[in-house]
Amino acid sequence: MNIHTYEKVWLIAALLLIVGFIATITYGSVGLGIAMIDDSEETVEPSELDEDFGEPRVEHVGENEYEAYVIAQTFIFQPDPIEVPANSKVTFYVTSRDVIHSFSVVGTNINTMVIPGEVSTMTAEFDESGEYGIICNEYCGSFHHTMEGQLHVVPEDEFDMTELSVESDDEVELGNETTFNVAVENGMLDDLETTVTFEIGNETTEEEITVSGESTEETTFTVDSTELGEGDHDWTVTVDDYEESGTLTVVEDLEEEEENGGNNDE
Amino acid sequence: MSNAYIDKFPAEAKVVKAAFYSSFLALALGGVFGVIQTLHRTDIYRFIDSADYYTVLTAHGVFMVITFTIFFLVGVFTWAVTTSLDRGVEDIRFTWSWVGLMTIGTVMAGVAILAGFVDSIDISASVLFTFYAPLQAHPLFYLGLVLFVVGTWVAGADWFRSWWAWKKENPDARIPLPTFMVLTTMIMWYIATMGVATSILVFLLPWSLGWIETVNPLLTRTLFWFFGHPVVYFWLMPAYLLWYTMLPKFAGGKLFSDPLARVGFVLFLLLSTPVGIHHQYLDPGIAEGFKFIAMTNTMFLLLPSFLTAFTVVASIEHGARQRGGTGYFSWLKSLPWRDPVFAGMALAGLLFAAAGFSGMVNAGMNINYLVHNSLWVVGHFHLTVGTAVALTFMAVSYWFIPQVTGKELWNRSVALIQVVLWFIGMTFMTNSMHRAGLIGMPRRTAEPQYTGFEFETAVGSVGELNAQIALGGVLLTLSLVLFFANIIGTAFGSRSDNLPDNGYAEALSGSDDAPRVLDNLKLWTAIAVVLVIIAYSLPLMSIVDRGGLFGPDITAFPANLESVRFLAFAVEHLGTAALESAGTLAWNTLPEVIR
Repeated sequence: MNIHTYEKVWLIAALLLIVGFIATITYGSVGLGIAMIDDSEETVEPSELDEDFGEPRVEHVGENEYEAYVIAQTFIFQPDPIEVPANSKVTFYVTSRDVIHSFSVVGTNINTMVIPGEVSTMTAEFDESGEYGIICNEYCGSFHHTMEGQLHVVPEDEFDMTELSVESDDEVELGNETTFNVAVENGMLDDLETTVTFEIGNETTEEEITVSGESTEETTFTVDSTELGEGDHDWTVTVDDYEESGTLTVVEDLEEEEENGGNNDE
Repeated sequence: MSNAYIDKFPAEAKVVKAAFYSSFLALALGGVFGVIQTLHRTDIYRFIDSADYYTVLTAHGVFMVITFTIFFLVGVFTWAVTTSLDRGVEDIRFTWSWVGLMTIGTVMAGVAILAGFVDSIDISASVLFTFYAPLQAHPLFYLGLVLFVVGTWVAGADWFRSWWAWKKENPDARIPLPTFMVLTTMIMWYIATMGVATSILVFLLPWSLGWIETVNPLLTRTLFWFFGHPVVYFWLMPAYLLWYTMLPKFAGGKLFSDPLARVGFVLFLLLSTPVGIHHQYLDPGIAEGFKFIAMTNTMFLLLPSFLTAFTVVASIEHGARQRGGTGYFSWLKSLPWRDPVFAGMALAGLLFAAAGFSGMVNAGMNINYLVHNSLWVVGHFHLTVGTAVALTFMAVSYWFIPQVTGKELWNRSVALIQVVLWFIGMTFMTNSMHRAGLIGMPRRTAEPQYTGFEFETAVGSVGELNAQIALGGVLLTLSLVLFFANIIGTAFGSRSDNLPDNGYAEALSGSDDAPRVLDNLKLWTAIAVVLVIIAYSLPLMSIVDRGGLFGPDITAFPANLESVRFLAFAVEHLGTAALESAGTLAWNTLPEVIR
């Protein structure tokens, strides 16, 4: 076969270019560590995600290391927003409850298909704080265009995984005592040292607590209704930036009030 | 008396003409849906419900890349085989049978898609061109696709028949280049369509009829892309055939090298299929190693395209020099730029070079994270299939339609404006789509306007990008209107004796220079099959092993419909009846065969 000299030169140049492309991509994988979405995760049953995959959540798994478990379904992402701190390394685990979606963080190279039965996983580093949109870029049904979520990378010192909950009575009979059960959950691995502040009427009570990593600490505040007197009393429980509040009603005779339909939930 | 195709092959000219007209009808429908989309997603003019956008998108995709391209292809291939073997088809009724199958298939799939607009009919197929399960279409859609593909298989058999008959009479002759290109392309197509045929016949169709409960979404998706990448070469190969065998002629010269054209097509046959996984770089459940293999194969697939670029440019340079062109670059001025056929094909080739660059980015496994499923990809394939293929087809129609109708082209100036307008429209639309993709704007969405965040552009603005996309879309629509005006004007014209002769370009370095082994189709088929087995057997086994043949417990979306049950009943009974009669037939003929 006669091949023109120019064509030979062209062919060799083309081959060099191709080999060059393959080399740069290999360098991206091996040298820079840009891993591909792969088959490293076990399959899951989309109808039994609660067992196979668990709640949509963010977990603290090591120093500056987090795992986000995300479920995509028509036409939302959960959790929404996903919150992680800056200067962290986050591994996303994403699966679908129904059809094929994608999980794509706009403006970044976090981008994966989400296929029911499979779990996509990828790790990303967030050096700075910022807010990103998350979109589904695979057609998933009539309202595909409304499917979006948020990823909040919050400043490191503002980030925590604290959850506050308060259990209390709505009403108490004059002369009786009532208790406020406060639970502080710490999702981080490190201990959380903080103050629980309880306010009711004009009184403020503070209590220093230490919540160990990945656990919950409970504390109780007892209130004597005689000191408050009859009527509505607003209360607040504060832990760092979290606040729970409500109203306690002190009545003369609890049963009679109930018969009158007295219910201060409204 | 002229020496046009219709004068030599009047019966075949009718077939080719029917194929071209069918393809133009699809182009017209696809064009209408196209402009609705550009105006809708850029929020410039919205008159349909956003939920209907996806029906529009499905129709645009299927009519453009299945019906328009493939109907045109069968027309070109029939012309190529009959012209280059210089013999008519073996049996014109057989030829019409595949035209019929393809038409019925198109109508069925088209009805299923378009019924999605009418709420009172419970038929829909808004599953887009890729029909990823668990999204489910009406069975009519899948059946239509099956018939269409079977039609193309029969068409391929028709061309092989012609070649076998010709070979008997010309035992030692080389396969003429156009026929060689048709045959290698069809072998690629037979291998590639195994994927989609399995996906539809074994999984999606029975599933849509309610015979099986579930499918494995990753498996059907992988089988789709087994076919989904080679299908893009199936669209491209007729354009390549025309660039190799016709463009040099229109430029006034000869094909630079027949042997290297053959090498190019053999490489496409070998490498088109074992690369499909590059559409699944971001799929979970497929190991990185398989993706790496697909990536390297894809990169080597650049080689035949580089070869084509060289040969085509060298051929038209030869043409220019024959026309008196001189100098390093000033020969470009001697090319017949006022000829719409040449100008359109050359401009198509120019934008295809740009498409090559964005394609290299897509192929780059880890760079793909940035652009996967973004508008970048849409920009890419509007340069490839939307320009390299579509503009070549439209431009060459100005030569073909007179050949198969025997009528002179209605207006050459309008034709020239049309091809230039397409080039300008696509330049606006695709450059902005690529840029929009880079800022993360997704493809396949009715409203890329989100409530929680805004896209950030480094240069320009989202408004400017949208304006360019919409302007491009409008120019393209205008270009289509001019195209159809010309085709209709030509169709209603009267017979002319003043037509150019039918024929294709001779080669500077002819087939005598090509090693014999290049014509050994059995050898290339065997190697192609082995490469496919290497690239696909392990990934497919792993997918089935992980998710099961029929996948996890998931419901179809949208839920099953009333009319499906009737159809399921009908298919079941027709199928049983057909099997019974086939059985009886076999039983009756068996003794005779044995005897």
